[in-house]
Amino acid sequence: MIDRIGELLTRLRSANSYQLQEAVKELGRYGDDGAVAGLVMALEDSNLSVRELAADILVQRKGETVYRLLICFLADDNIVTRNLAAEVLVRIGLPAVQPLIEALNTNDNDVCKFIIDVLGLIEDERAVEPLCGKLKDKNFNIVCAAVEALGEIGSKEAIPALVAAYDKIEDVRFQVVEALAKINNPSTLEALYGFLNSSDPQILCAVIQAIGSIDDINSVDRLLKYLDHKDQTVAEAAMAAIININHLNPGKINRNLPLDRFIDFLVAGVKNRDKKTTEFTLHQLSSWHGERVVRSLLEILDAVEENEFSQISEILAQVAPSVSDLVLEKLACSPPAMKVILLDFLKPFLNDEIVQKLLSFVDDPNHHVRREIGYTLGIAGYTSAIPALKKLAIDEVRCVRAAAFAALGWVGSEMEFDFLFSGLEDKYADVREAAIGALIIIGGPKVVAKFTADLYHPNAERQRLSVTALGLIGETDVVRPLLRAINHPWASIRKSAIHSLTRISGVTDIQPLRVALNDENSEVRKAAASALIAIQGEKAVPDITFLLDDKDDWVRYHIINSIGSLGVGKYSEYILPYLDDRQGIIRVAAITALTRMGYRHASPALKKLRNEENTSDDKAAKKTISGLKGIGQ
Amino acid sequence: MEITLREEANVTILSLKGRLDMATGSALKEQVKKLFEKEKTAIHLNLGEVEFINSSGLGALVSVMKEIRLRKGRLTLSDLASYVQEIFEITQLSHIFEIFTTEVEALNSYQAVTTG
Repeated sequence: MIDRIGELLTRLRSANSYQLQEAVKELGRYGDDGAVAGLVMALEDSNLSVRELAADILVQRKGETVYRLLICFLADDNIVTRNLAAEVLVRIGLPAVQPLIEALNTNDNDVCKFIIDVLGLIEDERAVEPLCGKLKDKNFNIVCAAVEALGEIGSKEAIPALVAAYDKIEDVRFQVVEALAKINNPSTLEALYGFLNSSDPQILCAVIQAIGSIDDINSVDRLLKYLDHKDQTVAEAAMAAIININHLNPGKINRNLPLDRFIDFLVAGVKNRDKKTTEFTLHQLSSWHGERVVRSLLEILDAVEENEFSQISEILAQVAPSVSDLVLEKLACSPPAMKVILLDFLKPFLNDEIVQKLLSFVDDPNHHVRREIGYTLGIAGYTSAIPALKKLAIDEVRCVRAAAFAALGWVGSEMEFDFLFSGLEDKYADVREAAIGALIIIGGPKVVAKFTADLYHPNAERQRLSVTALGLIGETDVVRPLLRAINHPWASIRKSAIHSLTRISGVTDIQPLRVALNDENSEVRKAAASALIAIQGEKAVPDITFLLDDKDDWVRYHIINSIGSLGVGKYSEYILPYLDDRQGIIRVAAITALTRMGYRHASPALKKLRNEENTSDDKAAKKTISGLKGIGQ
Repeated sequence: MEITLREEANVTILSLKGRLDMATGSALKEQVKKLFEKEKTAIHLNLGEVEFINSSGLGALVSVMKEIRLRKGRLTLSDLASYVQEIFEITQLSHIFEIFTTEVEALNSYQAVTTG
């Protein structure tokens, strides 16, 4: 074995990457110290994948020899090797702690510092005491590393030693405060409060930040005076600390804070999507919404998230409706994109007075702004905006016209129906559809009468729109025109009319639907059958059974399904003959329908169908069989 | 149409069931009027069980929306069935209503404003 290990160690000098990796893998299988040494040596290899492979194996191997050799490598001249050795030790974790602590006695300050770093990253409390000892070291780098490592470990046992280090070594104060912040224990607070007397703004900021990171509402009183600190950075650190404590204690801080000094700081926090600052700032808005605050917020509206945008807008609309004046003022001098944002912002504020002021923007040179004005006036819902909306509805840009027609539906009344019908002449479909939408909302006898007349409009598109509109208006007064439309020359209109009748209640005259069962178009026949089932339920069955022998197989399929969907067993006699139909798809429909009706004798037919491998409808049959497994068998 | 009413975190939730047409639209407006008398203007309509809505039903919703807006309140809708959603798209009413996929999402949005 020793010879083999020697051979493998020789191979580690090979230039061939494959051979190298194989050698490292094989060394990993031996427990011998020599093999371990080879693996550690491989950490120095120029090939990254070899180094990583060796590191992975060493992490798995563990053992005294591994730790000892890795610790030696912490003194390596090559920084890559040193870092990899440190990384392996950190990955080994707890088993490496004791050997590392023992190695702290090294005379090599650099190695000692690396060991301290590794101990900090392993975060094991056994290292606290020896690291506290290192706080008294003569070498500043070692002391600094020990402070930082103690912060990483986060044990409160280190607090007295760290506080002592703060008092004794001026140059390490900043690091001590950072370490105490990381320990994040209430027992550090007394010491931190004491450090607030520091005259160094950098340390003071760190102390304030550390205090703010600890969940203790009593700290707020200590921090308040720093909000007035002459150094803005210190004051902002105090505000950030209070914001953090507020986040940890929602609704519990009831102090009058001098917020005006922090407008830029808070607004920047909102703009940068700092969650805690945004939460705090929006909460303050209910009582803090002076002109400068609002102006600053308006500047960043294009940067905030949608939900925060709505929150700002809704809060201000509730507490400070006069803010709308500032928005209107800004609206007048903003570029088009900002105008659109501001119009959206204004929505919760809308009242008649604001609507009047917005009317001047109907002539804005930018069509995006004009379109948004159209929507905004519609949302406001004031009839005083109707003339402006009518003007926008004849705008040269189609999206403006579409928005204006839609808005007229939200604001207008039947009085505008003539104008709205003019929108149906527009050459663009989106404008015509917006006008139709408006007419559907407005509804009423005049609109219904006009659409009824339009069912026979020379333009086929108008006929289609009319039957759709009548169906969606859906009042009882559209039933008669729709019943008449069943005799329309166009099959698509007949079908659409029947579909609409299916939804509308109050259809008492079903004779036209019965007549439609004989329509020349199969889609109309199917629609008529569905409508009769929807209106009359199982009473419709005798009327539609003759379609079971329709010339169109899809009509037959549809009728079988429709009868089956009623789930009434007594109608199974109508369906049974179709178990032997010439068309596989009809047999499948019959089995499905019979199963839904609870007809137990469908099972043999199902088995028979399963055996029909060569039918053209084989796939459909199989799909049906699998779907029916839970119902029929 | 059935209207069931409940209150959650200062929001009045009206769950509508059935057909929203002329008669039931008036009932809805009446119900909302009663809520205004109790100074309740944060209203959520769950339309999950509305199987049909027509012109009058849409008109009733628009009217309720306008009334709530006049009172500086807030109206949200949720759980629109595909048929209702289709009509909202045709009429572009989604521009004037705050529509949420679920009631929970709608109620969370009220929470966001009040705690914001």
